[in-house]
Amino acid sequence: MIGNDIVDLSQAAKESNWKRAGYLEKLFTMAERFLIHVAKDPEAMVWLLWTMKESAYKAHTKDTKIRTFAPSQIFCNNVIVHPTLATGNVIYMGHLYYTQSTLSEAYIHTIAGEKTGVLKHSKLKISDYDESDSAYRNSNPASVSHHGKYLALIYL
Amino acid sequence: MDREDLVAKLKEIVAPYTHDKDSLATISPSTDFIKDLKINSANLVDVILDVEEEFDIEIDNMEMARMLNVGETISIIEDKLKALDRK
Repeated sequence: MIGNDIVDLSQAAKESNWKRAGYLEKLFTMAERFLIHVAKDPEAMVWLLWTMKESAYKAHTKDTKIRTFAPSQIFCNNVIVHPTLATGNVIYMGHLYYTQSTLSEAYIHTIAGEKTGVLKHSKLKISDYDESDSAYRNSNPASVSHHGKYLALIYL
Repeated sequence: MDREDLVAKLKEIVAPYTHDKDSLATISPSTDFIKDLKINSANLVDVILDVEEEFDIEIDNMEMARMLNVGETISIIEDKLKALDRK
């Protein structure tokens, strides 16, 4: 199974104060907090790691249906950041998920899956999100995520 | 503090993060933070930090994992407050 997650960066800046005392400690492992600390753009790293965790969690939950809120039990590894994309691995409940992320000034998006081949052949469509329009559901996306202005759909 | 007061306090805490105000008006133990109140998952951490501050308690990762709805959250707060009373 796959999962995906998008963060609208201007919405996140309004909704979340990641510099709040205790915030990063609840969400991230020590190794992840180190990545944030040394990143050129710490805020982008916060949301990159967050979308990695969320997308892997969604992929896992689709299979197991077990919901929990344990972000610090979802481990991001091997994070490699290029100017407009990033790759990495996420380990959750003993499962390894591969992640591919798209980085832009407006949003950060990550797709996670247990097989790299599925990720490679998946199609990502990012468009404006309209709360009143659910027509996208008819197009049978394999995974849906929306946040702020953006709607992200994955097709396999 | 009785259960009704706890729910009222929790309602105040979650209000700023809630995107579904109708669900907030009819809050009950079965109200789900994400599915009903449409709280962004990144804001769940704020709810937990606010609960810690409001009740002067510390919530560990195992407890946090269960805090997806009002009922579980209230029972965690109640247990913590009882433990403090015994000290």
